[in-house]
Amino acid sequence: MENTHIHSSFDNDLNKLNDNLLKLGNTALDQFDNCINNFGTQNLEEIEKVIGGDIILDDLDDRVQKLGFEIIALRAPQAADLRRIIVALKIATIFERIGDYSRNISNRTKLLIELNYSDLPGVNIGKMGQKTFTMMEDVIESYVNEDDKLAVKVRNSDVKIDKMHTQYYLEIVASMQRNKKLAPTGAHLLFIAKNIERVADYVTDIAEQVYFLVNGKVLSDLRPKADESSLIIPE
Amino acid sequence: MNNINDLKSLELTVGDVFSKNARLKARNVNVFYGNNKAIDNVTIDIGSKEVISFIGPSGCGKSTFLRCFNRMNDTIDSCVVQGEITIDDENIYDKKIDVVPLRARIGMVFQKPNPFPKSIYDNVAYGPRIHGLSENKEHLDVIVEESLKRAGLWQEVSDRLQSPGTGLSGGQQQRLCIARAIAVSPEVILMDEPCSALDPIATAKIEDLIHELGNDYSIVIVTHSMQQAARVSKRTAYFHLGKLIEVGKTKEIFTRPQHHQTEAYISGKIG
Repeated sequence: MENTHIHSSFDNDLNKLNDNLLKLGNTALDQFDNCINNFGTQNLEEIEKVIGGDIILDDLDDRVQKLGFEIIALRAPQAADLRRIIVALKIATIFERIGDYSRNISNRTKLLIELNYSDLPGVNIGKMGQKTFTMMEDVIESYVNEDDKLAVKVRNSDVKIDKMHTQYYLEIVASMQRNKKLAPTGAHLLFIAKNIERVADYVTDIAEQVYFLVNGKVLSDLRPKADESSLIIPE
Repeated sequence: MNNINDLKSLELTVGDVFSKNARLKARNVNVFYGNNKAIDNVTIDIGSKEVISFIGPSGCGKSTFLRCFNRMNDTIDSCVVQGEITIDDENIYDKKIDVVPLRARIGMVFQKPNPFPKSIYDNVAYGPRIHGLSENKEHLDVIVEESLKRAGLWQEVSDRLQSPGTGLSGGQQQRLCIARAIAVSPEVILMDEPCSALDPIATAKIEDLIHELGNDYSIVIVTHSMQQAARVSKRTAYFHLGKLIEVGKTKEIFTRPQHHQTEAYISGKIG
């Protein structure tokens, strides 16, 4: 927001919208980071904090939606201002959805603790989570700095998460085939891996919105994708 | 002066100033009020059956430029117009051109409704009478009725055509002025802030009318309301300090303008 508006109250409204959006984004980032860490540490108290903290994201999303709606109604924003508000409304919803996935992962982690999931070998959920976390950090940075190059880089890195997901899917199913007692654990792990893969997809959606914010046009080329878990029958 | 290489103004303007079906062509137009340059080297086409808005801050020259199209600036002694403006490739500043029929071809609606102190009927009939467009009284009646219908006023005034035009509401008076303009079968209608003196309902009726008339006429509208420009025009031109800064599709200008001055103006920003 390089220039200031003649109506300074318009700038105040936009700053308020932006502050709430960044608070929402950073809270969603923390929630996701914590749910991935808790998967490794199995700290029930921390897991409950993530589950209980989801309501904060819902409230922040509601606030952003209300502010954006009011600015459109009262200020009739144009050009870059209009794009900023439309983008804020869209990515606020995406951050809120990422929060839902963090809560879902936490709920499943609680069940896995009961199921003693250390029995299931092979997959490294933490690694996939960390890569997704880095993508999320970068996409927030790209929004703050209006850095469309970083946004495109984040978007294109999703393919790595897709590949990891496909690999983990095959490994978990193979483990379940070897030992059918591991089926309940494996099912939850499949969902957790899928949830992380979906979070990475949402991050790429945010990256595309950042590109639109900066350039006023959508990214025209097709996004690279490599999640083949819905196309493969495990041997 | 159709050679693009001759048009020095093109380097100043962002966007496509040309139109495939140009009816009016302005080439390197400069306008001076005494020593003050009010319009600086402007080139633009106005397309056939196109509604185009001129926007920009007060004093940017948009109304001055609009008045060039039907030589209304001739009435100002200190005003000098340079460059070339053509309608259907005929130079409107040619010495042979008679401005009275020119102003019938290129009609004008002003900021403040200015009906003649005559009846509603005579306001509309005045132009066809002086231009000899009606064959007889019955034909004149048809022109008046048709013009009032096209201006969306007939239903409101058909039972009081002999009442004074000045007795109508502001919005009705403005539609009467539009009926008066279209009664002489113009090709282009120039509108200089036609809704600035009207309430939102009357404004909406005029805007709806502009939308309708755009099917048959080229309409150039000067407006301070960006929302109005966005609502009524397909193309928008942004003026600043006498220069045509940017011209383009309205939906492009209001969502992703290319020039930072356009962006600043439509967003209400300083600088």
